Amino acid sequence: MSTEDQKSTCENLTRRKVLTGATGVVGAVGGAFMLVPFISSWQPSEKAKAAGAPVNVDVSQLQSGQMVTVSWRGKPVWVVRRTPEMLKILSENVTELRDPDSSESIQPEYTKNSFRSVNDEYLVVVGICTHLGCAPLYRPAVGSPDMMEGWMGGFFCPCHGSRFDLAGRVAKSVPAPTNLEIPPYHFLSNNVIRVGEDPAEGGIA
Amino acid sequence: MKKVLWIMSLLLLPLTMNIQAAGYSIELESANNDLRDQASLQRGAVLFSNYCMACHSLKYMRYNRVARDLGWSDDAVVTEMAHGLSTVTENVMTRMEDGVALEVLGTKVPDLSLMARLKGDDYIYTFLRSYHQNEQGEWDNKVLKGTAMPHVLEGIERHATPDEYAQAARDITNFLAYAGEPSKLERLDLGWKVIAFLLVLLVLLYLLKKEYWRDIKH
Amino acid sequence: MSHQTNESSAGKSSLLAWFDERYPVSSTWNKHVGEYYAPKNFNFWYFFGSLALIVLVNQIVTGIWLTMSYQPTGADAFNSVEYIMRDVEWGWLLRYLHSTGASAFFIVIYLHMMRGFLYGSYKKPRELVWVIGMLLFLVLMGEAFMGYLLPWGQMSFWGAQVIISLFGAIPIIGPDLALWIRGDFVISEVTLNRFFALHVIALPLLLVILVFMHLVALHHVGSNNPDGVEIKKLKDSKGIPLDGIRFHPYYSVKDAMGAVFFFILFALVLFYAPEGGGFFIEAPNFEPANPLKTPEHIVPVWYFTPFYAILRAIPDKFLGVVAMGIAVVIIFAMPWLDRCKVKSIRYRGNSYKVLLSILVISFIVLGFLGTQPSTPLYTKLAQIFTALYFMFFLVLPFTSANEKTKPVPERVT
Repeated sequence: MSTEDQKSTCENLTRRKVLTGATGVVGAVGGAFMLVPFISSWQPSEKAKAAGAPVNVDVSQLQSGQMVTVSWRGKPVWVVRRTPEMLKILSENVTELRDPDSSESIQPEYTKNSFRSVNDEYLVVVGICTHLGCAPLYRPAVGSPDMMEGWMGGFFCPCHGSRFDLAGRVAKSVPAPTNLEIPPYHFLSNNVIRVGEDPAEGGIA
Repeated sequence: MKKVLWIMSLLLLPLTMNIQAAGYSIELESANNDLRDQASLQRGAVLFSNYCMACHSLKYMRYNRVARDLGWSDDAVVTEMAHGLSTVTENVMTRMEDGVALEVLGTKVPDLSLMARLKGDDYIYTFLRSYHQNEQGEWDNKVLKGTAMPHVLEGIERHATPDEYAQAARDITNFLAYAGEPSKLERLDLGWKVIAFLLVLLVLLYLLKKEYWRDIKH
Repeated sequence: MSHQTNESSAGKSSLLAWFDERYPVSSTWNKHVGEYYAPKNFNFWYFFGSLALIVLVNQIVTGIWLTMSYQPTGADAFNSVEYIMRDVEWGWLLRYLHSTGASAFFIVIYLHMMRGFLYGSYKKPRELVWVIGMLLFLVLMGEAFMGYLLPWGQMSFWGAQVIISLFGAIPIIGPDLALWIRGDFVISEVTLNRFFALHVIALPLLLVILVFMHLVALHHVGSNNPDGVEIKKLKDSKGIPLDGIRFHPYYSVKDAMGAVFFFILFALVLFYAPEGGGFFIEAPNFEPANPLKTPEHIVPVWYFTPFYAILRAIPDKFLGVVAMGIAVVIIFAMPWLDRCKVKSIRYRGNSYKVLLSILVISFIVLGFLGTQPSTPLYTKLAQIFTALYFMFFLVLPFTSANEKTKPVPERVT
């Protein structure tokens, strides 16, 4: 080796190592920044966000005990107007529930209460089973004929038999791990619910 | 190294020329619009809404994007630009029904989202200021002779001072320049940071290269 | 850059040894990087090979990302580009990286080819390096041409219309051939779809394979250098060329420095002039393709304009196409047209220096003329410089055979 044999002094080797390290670190930082556009471009685009914008639900025509389904971000969102009897059953039947306090489940802070709602009368819930994403059936009546014995009204997932009550709370010993998800929502007026948006003041609007 | 720089500057030379200096019938005036002037952009957006949106759309712009970039709230943009008739996630569409333009004006009305990039800011500015009455007393435009577009800003031009009218034209131009490339300011603001970072890396690599190349005897 | 140079015998980690038994990791690294001995006197012109590779990677990666949001349909192609520019997070940056990269690719490639002309890099034993490189250039032109249709703007549409019509000039089969390429009676979504397929899959694949072959051929014969001296002729006792230095770390670190310098120029254009003064993104392309309305002035993108000017200079349609084709293909023949034994321009005679200057000037002037509307004066000029362009290739075999050269040194300087 004609030219490389000249070994540098120790001092130079240190300088070389420091420079290599510094360049490597700065280069790696640059590389990491370079990844940002590529990674962020997979986020929902403005178009997707616009399509997934909050939706307003008019509940003035909704009778007690009825349910209406709206689409928010492509997902079904159920709005159930609960009767006083239903609420009574919900407050009594808590022993058969896996997560009665919703501590393991997904919901906005302002719906983390016994009826999982802003206004006890209305349940707003994402209609997707927390097990594997099937759509549960709405069976509000106590003792619905196609349901198991002792049915107290709620949702039943036909895929794997998960059961939820009318607050979307999951029963014990079914495959679904957590309660049905509650989306952010608030009341624009007494009769209009805005799904997909937190209340302005973080309160109960 | 001198030679290198010389060649590099030669390569960048074409960028300073402009290929699209195609012949318009009159010389274009400089618009002197400023994308960082939010007040001007807001005025331009309102003028656009009041005078242009009867026929023209900005179909690639969404109201919430306009709001975010122009410093408006979501509610404000809908009030200012759409009189509360659109939601913020909608695109800026014309108020004219489909097909009416062909009947009334005898032509299709172009979408203006990219007009500033297609024709340039100066073109729009000059165009807006070049309406005049011909011998028959009809409105015509010096930049685009025989245009089907009526002189929609006639009211402003008649009642305002020439300077005020120029400013109105500049504001509309500015807004359309913004709409042509909404991310332009983001681009300009990011650029120098990237270049500054690369300069640091270049210095390090230069030192590293020099350090390694001490091994090489010439 | 931080890889250790692996001495072939000692100091291997056990993990590396495990791999080496099963896959030629160390030997491949050593052959092509660690112990690839390159002449120590590379100058400025030797940056463009590695830069071309970097730009290729940029085009492939940003291209993949653009494909995720682009829609190759007549109704939505134009819209989806604006969707990328406005609605996709950082979409504008990805798009400008790709569009600026396309022009950067040609700048780098033209300078890379210029290096070959300066230092005779096409000469024996590197004829195949040159021929594979020219194939790369051809494929790259196809790749760029097809990519330019995808934004589906007015210039995309009419540029493709003009170029595909060229095939119509071929006698007898021409019109049917043009129809076959388009798959429709005008450029349409059918054409867009096939160009999209070729642009995102077929041609990039071909480019990558050819780049691989280009490098294999180069590393087999070894790199040329500004002195045109074969460094393999003089070796030390270990068989290492006296004037050779390891590619890594010496050239890897030097090329990295060159790459960052290039990134700075690239960033200047990307962030402050992405339209390249109307050369990189042409203004008429901000209007959606309209088969019923031709733009006043159709210009191909700048990197095609020298060849386009040759096409327009010839008054006969078919002969124009032939001349344009030959203008590209004739460059393949350089290893055989240039009969001078001396490689580097440093030691060649004045005849070559004059001829090469004429070629470069003609190429640049033709490139300018190709962007301009044709006027009688410009047509005349285009004819003169077309003649000068071809003169280089026609005169060279005669002048180079007995050129008055200077003595070539034994070792590099």
